[in-house]
Amino acid sequence: MSQPPLRVVHLTKRYRTQDGFLEAVSDVSFEVRAGECFGLLGPNGAGKTTAIHCITGFYPPSSGAVFIEGVDVRAEPKRARQALGVCAQEDTLDTDFRVFDQLVRHATFFRVPGADAARRARSLLERFGIADKAGELVESLSGGMKRRLQVARALVAQPRVLVLDEPTTGLDPGMRRSLWEILVEERAKGAAILLCTHYMEEAERLCDRIALIDSGSIRDVGAPATLIEHHMGTGNVEEELRPGVVWRRAPNLEDVYLRLTGAKLHERNSA
Amino acid sequence: MKLYEAMWGVRCVWLRYFDVFRKSLGYYLVTTFAEPFLYLLAFGFGVGSLIGSLESNGAEVSYRSFVFSGILGQTLLFQGFYEASYGGFVRMYYQRIFQAMAVTPITLSEVLWGELLWDASKATLAAVIIAAIGVATRDFPLYAPLVVIPVAFPAALLFAGLGLAVAARSRTIEEISYPQYLLVFPMFLFCGVFFPVERLPAALQWLAWALPLTPVNSLMRTLTLGFPFQWWSVPILAAWLVLLVAWSRRAMFGRLVK
Repeated sequence: MSQPPLRVVHLTKRYRTQDGFLEAVSDVSFEVRAGECFGLLGPNGAGKTTAIHCITGFYPPSSGAVFIEGVDVRAEPKRARQALGVCAQEDTLDTDFRVFDQLVRHATFFRVPGADAARRARSLLERFGIADKAGELVESLSGGMKRRLQVARALVAQPRVLVLDEPTTGLDPGMRRSLWEILVEERAKGAAILLCTHYMEEAERLCDRIALIDSGSIRDVGAPATLIEHHMGTGNVEEELRPGVVWRRAPNLEDVYLRLTGAKLHERNSA
Repeated sequence: MKLYEAMWGVRCVWLRYFDVFRKSLGYYLVTTFAEPFLYLLAFGFGVGSLIGSLESNGAEVSYRSFVFSGILGQTLLFQGFYEASYGGFVRMYYQRIFQAMAVTPITLSEVLWGELLWDASKATLAAVIIAAIGVATRDFPLYAPLVVIPVAFPAALLFAGLGLAVAARSRTIEEISYPQYLLVFPMFLFCGVFFPVERLPAALQWLAWALPLTPVNSLMRTLTLGFPFQWWSVPILAAWLVLLVAWSRRAMFGRLVK
């Protein structure tokens, strides 16, 4: 049986803080299969971004291992990351380059030949709706365009494993939906997608399976509907919109998260 | 194979910087050469016409030639330090391109080597062009632009190491001003750019020789003006080179990687 494109095995990450040691990621294990979108759902500070830094090999794990297409990221980072596309949570665009050149330059880091890189860059800019900005400086783009460019850059080497950390933050609903469509297309092509998000709707819409992460630990993993049914049952839940006004609605992942951790997805912001 | 792969990664990073340099050549030429050129005009031709010649390290030379050679060291100091400190801070903190490159098949170690080698390359290029101007004004022999390279490059790498370490240790870009005013400017003023170090009081001479710019200036004057070779310049320079490059990489790893 072939290796899953992404396998995370007992990943733990501790680091020193001013107050001592913080275990930001605690014994996290999961795998993402080809053609699957796997979500890490949790609020800011839950440990998602630290986990991603370990998964991409940027941070060394305190214990555990990460394998991309069977290659240990720490032992052979260059080989492992040849199959990896990353969109970080923060803006990491290279503002010294214009939009088109940025994609071509990034592709060279993956040994994509120049002509191929240019062809892919043109195609991606078209696909992400920013082809008319190809010759512009990155600084002249709007926040939403920069975000789309950063996701486009993650795709320029045609990765088989795509790691996206809050890719739709700052996008308006229309742009968010168009980005979702692109991710669905990538998944259909066979990419294994790891999506970190604190947007419940995004996780429900895109992810085949979701890991609910809290204080660095995975509290449960499953398909969105399965998680909801398992933890909330099939009946409606009551939500008090304002004093005296109660709304009965179907349960969602926010309710599951609240039940498992006692916190809301938009609440915690500590680590 | 691993060394070849690492060199490929460093080359990718170096080429990224070169590409930016090539696309903004006019800007770089002005910002790189305006300052040393103004020093040359003011001190070499202006003050030099008042002083005439001076004796240093057992050799007599025109003040203009003396300063011209000192400007080579100053160029390496400023170009290496500023590109790595302010430029490095911008790339690490604001652009975050170290982080972006280090999740591709290029490792963070290669990114930092690429940064240091580019900073050193750019500063060396500036020094070579200044040396060529010195040839044109007949202050230096014809071969000067070539023979300075073996000293200029490690010296530039050393100052780039200092700059990158400072970038890594600074919480804000303003904090880079501390080492700039407390270390870089004093080196510029007291390490033999504008006057011979032996004119300083004895205690300050020791201090000047302990800093890296003095041996750089000494070696530059040996190569361009035929001054006697002060052998101790080489171990001092080598020690600073190893120390600062190692410190810069350690500090930057410490800053970026938890």
